[in-house]
Amino acid sequence: MSQVFHEIEKKIIASLRDNPKQSPESLEKSTQLSPDQIRRGIEWLKLKNLAIVTESKSSILSLGKNGVESFTKGLPERRLLDLLKTGPKKLSDLQKELGFVFGPSMGLARKNNWIEVSLDEISIKNSPSELLGEKTLKLIGNEKLSKDKIDSIDLSGLLKRPDFIIEDIIKTKEISLSDLAKSIKISDSVGGIDVEANVPEIFVARTHPLKDTIDEIREIFVTLGFSEILGNMTQSSFWNFDALFTPQDHPARELQDTFYLDGINAKKIGTPEQIRKVSESHKKNWRYQWDINEARKMVLRTHTTCVTIKHLAENKPDEARIFSLGRVFRNEKVSYKHLVEFNQIEGVVVGKDASLRNLMGIQREFYKRIGITKVKFWPTFFPYTEPSLQTMVYNEKLGKWIELFGMGIFRPEVTKPLGITQPVLAWGGGIERIAMLKYDLGDVREFYNNNLGWLRSATKCQ
Amino acid sequence: MPVIELSYSRLQKLIGKVTKKQISDSLPFLGLDIESEDKDLVRIEYSPNRPDYSTDYGIALGMQGLLGIKTGIVKLNVKKSNSYQISVNSSVTKIRPFVTGIIAKNGKIDDKTIKQLMTMQEDLHFGIGRKRKKSSIGIHDLDKISFPLVYTTTTRNHTFIPLNSEKDTTISEILVNTDVGKDYGSILGQSSQVPIILDENQNTVSFPPIINAAVTTVTTKTKNLFVEVTGITKEDAEDMLAVVATILQSAGFILESVKITGTKNSSPKLEQRKMTVSTSLINQTLGLNLNSSKIVSSLKKSRLDAISKGTNIICTIPAYRFDIFGPLDLVEEVALGYGIQNLEPILSPSQTIGKINPVSIKLKSLDHTMIGLGFLEALNSSLTSKRVLYDMTNRDSTKIISVLDSKSREHTILRDSILPGLLENLSKNIHESYPQKMFETGTVFATENPISEKINFSGISAHKDANFTEIKSIIQSALNIGFGIKVETKTATNSTFEDGHCATIILNNIPIGIIGKINSKIIENYKIRVPVVGFEISLSDSLLKN
Repeated sequence: MSQVFHEIEKKIIASLRDNPKQSPESLEKSTQLSPDQIRRGIEWLKLKNLAIVTESKSSILSLGKNGVESFTKGLPERRLLDLLKTGPKKLSDLQKELGFVFGPSMGLARKNNWIEVSLDEISIKNSPSELLGEKTLKLIGNEKLSKDKIDSIDLSGLLKRPDFIIEDIIKTKEISLSDLAKSIKISDSVGGIDVEANVPEIFVARTHPLKDTIDEIREIFVTLGFSEILGNMTQSSFWNFDALFTPQDHPARELQDTFYLDGINAKKIGTPEQIRKVSESHKKNWRYQWDINEARKMVLRTHTTCVTIKHLAENKPDEARIFSLGRVFRNEKVSYKHLVEFNQIEGVVVGKDASLRNLMGIQREFYKRIGITKVKFWPTFFPYTEPSLQTMVYNEKLGKWIELFGMGIFRPEVTKPLGITQPVLAWGGGIERIAMLKYDLGDVREFYNNNLGWLRSATKCQ
Repeated sequence: MPVIELSYSRLQKLIGKVTKKQISDSLPFLGLDIESEDKDLVRIEYSPNRPDYSTDYGIALGMQGLLGIKTGIVKLNVKKSNSYQISVNSSVTKIRPFVTGIIAKNGKIDDKTIKQLMTMQEDLHFGIGRKRKKSSIGIHDLDKISFPLVYTTTTRNHTFIPLNSEKDTTISEILVNTDVGKDYGSILGQSSQVPIILDENQNTVSFPPIINAAVTTVTTKTKNLFVEVTGITKEDAEDMLAVVATILQSAGFILESVKITGTKNSSPKLEQRKMTVSTSLINQTLGLNLNSSKIVSSLKKSRLDAISKGTNIICTIPAYRFDIFGPLDLVEEVALGYGIQNLEPILSPSQTIGKINPVSIKLKSLDHTMIGLGFLEALNSSLTSKRVLYDMTNRDSTKIISVLDSKSREHTILRDSILPGLLENLSKNIHESYPQKMFETGTVFATENPISEKINFSGISAHKDANFTEIKSIIQSALNIGFGIKVETKTATNSTFEDGHCATIILNNIPIGIIGKINSKIIENYKIRVPVVGFEISLSDSLLKN
């Protein structure tokens, strides 16, 4: 196997093959590369397990002020002995001659029994040929020297003396080749690159993650036999509420829950027959004075059910599976779990055999296809369906049951006035909630922040 | 949906032989969602169509049925009495025409009972009472009242000591100075006369629908109650009375009747109703094959009475179940009594072939084209703010479409254009790396008969070399690949764009949009440091539906 290397790496390997252990400085000299190139090359080779870098500490010695003086003039005790070579001297003369070092040199000479001291004179008894430390002084001189090149016994004679020896600790690097590098073949190919290195991030252009979930849900219902219908987001109160048996004084119709368009009313809201029959159903069942002006008020739809019911009222199919998908609005305070505008899917099954168990079966199949298998149904209440159920699904990540789609069978008070004769199963719910589970989001607002940091990084398949 | 707090131990006493776990497992199957639990306390949410679930007494009745401890109808035993009468003066007809009432004796009232009755009263006022407009209740200490009573009207100068007060106050003062007066005074309109209930000695008992007199306040020393309900129809008043009577009977009170006479009014009957439902409707709707006896026992578990007659079931419904409108409501009662958990979902094969709407198909294909051109899809709200839509971009705001009373300042008007939202998005991403290229398709709104909704398509590109040529190339390719159409650009001026770098997009001699370099002042307003180019076109029906 031969491997492609950068020019820098090639030069460093070649130099180390000639001279197996080198410092970075020595590699600089041998390869003629800059310190920075050497540094990078060593880093690359280290990552590839080709270079071994051993770091060691070494001690460098030089002479201090007193050491330098002794190097030029000799050690104090040598100077004393030299003065006595010519014969015995008077104490006061020696003191004058030697100054500060007189005391220490006398002490040393007497201790070692080199001199004899009589009443007033000092004379040599026996003179040593070489003194401890003289070798080291000579060796270091005015240079710097590694501690391991000096005789440690000789050195100890100087280390005890003040300001004779200065010791510096220096870290040094030594580069050598690993066994792998010793055997590797270096390819001759020119311009090879490091294919294992990190590369810059590139951002994908994509559809919005929420849109992906919407598309997925749309396709599931199409494969379950449902056809998509579209409708307006602005609707008359008649289709959003009245046609769905929600009385005009119902709390859900108040300004604090529903967005009414300022000063905008629908002129034509339905056929005269539809209006008459719906109003009669309200008067009879809810016992109040139904007001057509209330029904004309334009609202931002609070659910997509208004689109489906209008479609059923206009087409009166005997057999149908249809759904409608889009934005719906609620006058809520925006928070991590509430938006004023979100997407809803809502579908109906029309047919004489439509039953609650069928409806539950369609829901269960849908959840299965988006990967949710733990599903249960609880009774609930909607003004326009009876019986009404809600689905609870188990979320493994959160470890709890979450409410998803609501469903039920349209009340006869809804269908009869609009001339719909077959039973209608209806189901629906918010899409953001499902998308939050898919993308593991804790804050629903993220879907509409268009934060590039998130859009560029959210994983598609989950 | 209303929420109430219950105590498991109290419920256990009311229901009978039942464990805490049985209760918590069964609550959802009565249609009650558990909001939170804390040891003995549980907060549940109930549906507004079941006001009888506004107290633990009512929930206990339902739970007894579901668990099979006590099934069948809850009969109201009202002892006939001549001691209690209310006569109605015709003057109330135009303001609040109906009154009804009941006596409840020999009950034990502790703090918890008072608390339950208070929440019940509040929830009834808010729900079926429609904030006291349709009907409202007053609950009084019977022993503080001298019958007979009169339900009549009085002037706004009438004085009495209202609940939670110690001094004589005029009606006008109550309406101006108290919270209830401020909240509900509007129900009485501007009329100079207001409804009032006075006792034999002309003492005020209640000023409906606003406040009771202090003298009749219910305390833990109270033994006997008088309940009055006033309303705008006799049925509304009696519906509410039926709920209260049922709850008080369950709480251990002995009920006695109140005789009501006078204009259009009469004594409440609180009668049961009969309703017939066919077994085939039940079985067809639920997808089951239940025999008559199973249906009857299921209905009884829902605290109704039923007998089978041929292929029909004749059901007896108590007065407090006015949420039952017709046979389909009985089908739901069967389902609840049978147990929703016992309904096995089935998937029957579809008889229809599903189809995606052609507009959705076109838009999806346009999305893919834009992605191919390197643009990322953005999604913005269609309900946005004047700041984003007009102020930041110097656009003309004369045809603004606003919503009323939005709770969020960022969501007050419907968008008539998509591009301003995308610019806002760029401003929130100035710390992210460039180039930044985004597009969006979505609904825009205009006032037209009364509102028209069209789909617009907009894109922007922001980076140091962004220029007109680039964005024109983009729209040209997108429309050519997406719709097979070729567009031209004609010099234009527009406050959002830079003069000399702005053009109208023309298709077959008809302007369909605008394109150009975004005005540098706008870019500055948004603190964006690179040039931005963009376009917006209207996707006509002919493009989307063919």
